[in-house]
Amino acid sequence: MSLWVDQCRPRSLEDLHYHHELSTRLRSLASSGDFPHMLFYGPSGAGKKTRITCTLRQLFGSGIEKLKIDQRIFLSPSKRKLEVNVVQSNFHIEITPSEAGNYDRVVIQELLKEIAQTQQVDLNAKQKFKVVIINEADSLSKDAQAALRRTMEKYMSNMRIILCANSTSRLIAPIKSRCLLMRVAAPNAEDMQAVMQHVSKRVGFDLPPDVASKIIDDSGGNLRKAILCLEALKMQSPDLSGALTIAKPDWETYCHKVADLIISEQSPARVMEVRQKFYELLSHCIPPTIILKQQTVADRVVERVDDAIKADVMHWAAVYEVRMRIGSKKIYHLEAWVVKVMSLYKHFFYDMDLTGFD
Amino acid sequence: MTPSKNAKPVQRGKAITSFFKVTPNNSQSSQPSSSLESKKKEVARTNHPKSTILQASSSKMQDVIMVDDSDDEPPTKKIKPRKSALLSSSEDDAFPKKSTSGSIKVKARTSLPAKMIVSSEDEVAPRTAQKRKKLSALISSSEEDDERKRSPPKKKAAVANDTSSKPKARASLPAKKSKIGDDEDFEMAVSKSDEDKPIVSRTKPKTMSKSAISSDDDEPKLKSKAKLKAPKQRSVKKKAEEVEAKSKIEGNGKAETQESKKPNWAALKAAKARGPIAAGSKAVPDGEDNCLLGLSFVFTGELSSFSREEAIDIAKRFGGRVVGQPSSKTNYVVLGEDAGPSKLKAIEKHGLRTLNEDQFLALIATRKGSGKEIDEKTRKKMEKEHEAIKATAKEMEKKEEKAMKEAESGAGPSKVIDPSTQLWTTRYAPQSLKDICGNKSPVEKLELWLKDWPQSYKANFKKPGKNGMNMYRAVLISGSPGIGKTTSAHLCAKLAGYTPIELNASDTRSKKLVENGMNINNKSLDSFISGSRSIPNPVGTTITDQTCLIMDEVDGMSAGDRGGVGALNALIKKSKIPIICIANDRQAQKLKPLMSTTYSLPFSKPQASMIRSRILSIAYREKMKIPANVIDQLIAGAQSDIRQVLNILSTVKLQSNTLTFDEGKELSKMNEKYTIMSPFDLTSKILGPYLFSHTARETLGDKMELYFQDHSFVPLFIQENYLKSDPAKLRSEQGPDKELKRLELMDKAASSMSDGDLVDGMIHGPEQHWSLMPLHAVCSTIRPASFIYGTGVHFGGPNSMSFPQWLGQNSKQNKLSRQLSDVQVRMRLKVSGDQNEIRQSYIPALHPHIVRPLVEEGSSAVDDIIHRMDEYYLAKEDWDTIVELGVGEQKDDLILKKIPAATKTAFTRKYNSSEHPIPFHKATDLGKVPKKIAATEVPDLEEAFDFDEVVEDASDDETNAKDTEDISHDKLIQASKKKKGAVGKAKK
Repeated sequence: MSLWVDQCRPRSLEDLHYHHELSTRLRSLASSGDFPHMLFYGPSGAGKKTRITCTLRQLFGSGIEKLKIDQRIFLSPSKRKLEVNVVQSNFHIEITPSEAGNYDRVVIQELLKEIAQTQQVDLNAKQKFKVVIINEADSLSKDAQAALRRTMEKYMSNMRIILCANSTSRLIAPIKSRCLLMRVAAPNAEDMQAVMQHVSKRVGFDLPPDVASKIIDDSGGNLRKAILCLEALKMQSPDLSGALTIAKPDWETYCHKVADLIISEQSPARVMEVRQKFYELLSHCIPPTIILKQQTVADRVVERVDDAIKADVMHWAAVYEVRMRIGSKKIYHLEAWVVKVMSLYKHFFYDMDLTGFD
Repeated sequence: MTPSKNAKPVQRGKAITSFFKVTPNNSQSSQPSSSLESKKKEVARTNHPKSTILQASSSKMQDVIMVDDSDDEPPTKKIKPRKSALLSSSEDDAFPKKSTSGSIKVKARTSLPAKMIVSSEDEVAPRTAQKRKKLSALISSSEEDDERKRSPPKKKAAVANDTSSKPKARASLPAKKSKIGDDEDFEMAVSKSDEDKPIVSRTKPKTMSKSAISSDDDEPKLKSKAKLKAPKQRSVKKKAEEVEAKSKIEGNGKAETQESKKPNWAALKAAKARGPIAAGSKAVPDGEDNCLLGLSFVFTGELSSFSREEAIDIAKRFGGRVVGQPSSKTNYVVLGEDAGPSKLKAIEKHGLRTLNEDQFLALIATRKGSGKEIDEKTRKKMEKEHEAIKATAKEMEKKEEKAMKEAESGAGPSKVIDPSTQLWTTRYAPQSLKDICGNKSPVEKLELWLKDWPQSYKANFKKPGKNGMNMYRAVLISGSPGIGKTTSAHLCAKLAGYTPIELNASDTRSKKLVENGMNINNKSLDSFISGSRSIPNPVGTTITDQTCLIMDEVDGMSAGDRGGVGALNALIKKSKIPIICIANDRQAQKLKPLMSTTYSLPFSKPQASMIRSRILSIAYREKMKIPANVIDQLIAGAQSDIRQVLNILSTVKLQSNTLTFDEGKELSKMNEKYTIMSPFDLTSKILGPYLFSHTARETLGDKMELYFQDHSFVPLFIQENYLKSDPAKLRSEQGPDKELKRLELMDKAASSMSDGDLVDGMIHGPEQHWSLMPLHAVCSTIRPASFIYGTGVHFGGPNSMSFPQWLGQNSKQNKLSRQLSDVQVRMRLKVSGDQNEIRQSYIPALHPHIVRPLVEEGSSAVDDIIHRMDEYYLAKEDWDTIVELGVGEQKDDLILKKIPAATKTAFTRKYNSSEHPIPFHKATDLGKVPKKIAATEVPDLEEAFDFDEVVEDASDDETNAKDTEDISHDKLIQASKKKKGAVGKAKK
């Protein structure tokens, strides 16, 4: 059996538990016959993909669930082979151009044109157009986004594009203006409570509300995480009673260890140790931005340092996060941050004059 | 604070009076340097207490003061001779000058408040009575007393200096600087210790007194110096008396916090790293040419205004010889600060004469040039050398004439070449084995091997022979260019009676040609052409009908010579003639096959002394007047490349017949070979203590040049190793300050590297701003290094330099993220999350379902696990990936160790034996890659078609075409996909 989070995933707009207003709007858009390009954005675990699938189902019916995966190979200008996985049904196609790294432009140009130039062949299809879902739209390079602009207008008759992103900040304005923006906010605690109760009912057990709220607190608005957590907890202690400790994922505990290392000693040798740990995390596919901010190293460091330098630590975390996004070798920036924090901490520790240190 | 303050005026006054007394003596003294010494001592005493006074407030400092006080009392003072000597010398120059200008500077180190107002004597606190007593005793002591006291220290100094061969931490003796204004207001200036710290000259009194002074010429110079100083000192005295009369004085200073008796190696090293203190403060005297001829020098310790290299250069320029270790033959030892203890011992042992920096310069300025003052023995030796050179030159001439005559007499019609038109390298090529410079033993070996070759051949290469060489049919000569490899090979072949056939890089040496083209089984035709009579070659041996193959520049067998090395190797294995292969780099990958079949004969670079005489003879022959030291310089510059030296000389000859030292230096710099340094060497140079020290002569451009030697690796190496140095900038810091400063430096370096990465992003990004390379050099390499340079980054040791991890880690990251994306694609049909979500949420969630049961339950859990994996279309490889992606407690090593081997095999067997749903086939799995959708093949429809109708038609056609193509190629893919999809559905 699948994990609960996949078992209990809503399949139609009616089944969705929260953001009812959004669901209603989507339903009417789907039935209007004049379906626009759309940009779904919101934090992960808020239900963007689920909502998109539900909308597609509303548009095309259950045929949308017959998915197949295809692997396409593109040649980059430098004759390198790029493998891109394409998930498609008869009515839609879903791509993740960021798989092609810097060559996402090639994927966008070639694949989209190819799709756009064919009309819907299924005569029984409810809609004349096909839908292209572009995942991780916010990691599209500027070139790829530019390549998307004209295609979106030119082939409007054959194709609708649904972009799925975590935030709109990295999308260029022309793209945003061509799309209907759909913000899928993270569910609030009540919504999540409702969903969790629903899940527990479907699986067949009673979920004490306090346990649920504890999980919700821990998940930070990420419903996927909450449900996965619930399942793990249920597995851990089937009756869900007593003092429950929510097991942190492996990488999170690891990050906390790194933070503790930073606080406990400030020396070149320690920096090298931390560097080693960072390499470990990075090579195991933990994104550097996650390492630096969300609930991990920086947060943990901030928890443990004095109020006076909390703001500084966070400030520098922000500075180096930006640099990390622009630069290419993430470890440089992570390390620079670590050294900075160590220096700040040590200076604070010795209560030294911090003037001239900015 | 107070007691010492009290002490100060007195002492200063006393010291200065004694100072005054010394001066007359000084000028009359027959041993100026030793009196100078004592003078210094006095100065030291005056300054010393002064410097200690301010510290009384801090308890830590008080100890120090005690030490210093005891220093001032004659009986106990003896114990600390070294320190006072050091200080004295350090004040030698500075003191008189500054006091005349109305202020005395005493150096002070850190951690003192920047300003300190010192109260006058009246405010002396009573509780320090004891000390005051001591001081008043000192005050009351008469001048005679002073004198009496002073004389013992003089001897003491000698003793002291004898014992002082034990080095002490010089770095731990901070110099002090303070100001005494005329108005007697006192202000303490904290200044950098490095700043104008005067020279330290530590001469050895024993030798001095015994052997008068190094050379007679020195004496007047030094005397005059002393005289010059006299008036100044008088004025100092006057001032001092005034001060005494008022008896109102302020003192301050700071004593050192640390003092170690043992040799402090770290400090020594640090001092060495720092370079000269007052670089460039002294001019090199304009001495006569060759004024140091025949003298040998040893430099030890650190000079104040020249770096070691510069000093050596100076000595060489004036004809001196510089050797590394003092021996009985050494004429002078030039002592700097912190001379090496072993060298000091050697000096003592051999009773060598020592010079300090000034004396060294004076020697150059005053000694008569052109070897007029050298002793008989050296002169004779030099004459002998000269004779030898003349003789060789004559011999060369004779040979040339003989050859000319022969040519004219018509022995060889085509051989009439005027030697003067030939290149020097050909003209003066060695004609006999004794002409070859250096590498005597390899050449002899080669000759012997060639001579024995026919016997070895008969013995089927079974008898090793004298050198073990007779087991081989071929030899491989290797060595750097221009050291006579080819020449030796030819010469040896001729001497052994072979006709050499040379194939070099200008011939094509591909496999085919080596196999077929080389008719090596044939005998030479030389004897056939010249009839039965054999011609003696110039060396006198007769050429036989044997040939010898010389494969020159084997490592140059490149693209055009495909398979050449292999064919050559095959040839060597069955050769019936000796083969000599010549290469520059024996380790080259290309030459691997030859390693086992050839005897390796490495040629080393000959020493300058081996080449010198030959070059000198050639120069003599060409009527050029070039001193030996210039030749040495050229040889060193060319890195013993004889050919290059000859070429340089022949170029010079076109303009003039002479060459001075400086011209030679310039020439060799112009012809400098760029040594390719490995990234390791580059890194240790960049992070090392010298590149950024005060005396480093490298410009920013020179430093950037290092980056550009390997611009992709150097920044990575710097990033990997920058934390391993012991920053030179921290040398003056102590305790927590040091740690803070270290972190600050690290921070600066790290943020600079972060900048560097941003620049790198612009260079390697989509826009490729290659013009930013210099900026990248500075941000990623030069600037970080400028903060944290220092000792410590080198090979070996706890902080040994390491290869950048980034490369390995990055490729690991790429690999794992590729695997993760495979997992994500497989799970995609069930899961909506992207890669990051899979990693961050699903893998931890799946872990207890598909991995942990194997640990906890063993093989009984296999069925469940496989079922769950099928649910998400995960294959065995994906299971491996999931395990591999774990960190911390879920690290793959830890987990896999916990799973018993039996369980693992059961799992694998079970998985392989059952059928599993597959979401799709990877195109590459099937071997055939579908044709790409080429951008060029798709017409740009945007412009060509305006209305939808046509577009549809065209695109329809195209899709159809593509479809048929796809199906024909990917039939399997399509079919299996459907099937799998169906399976998946059915399971649901």
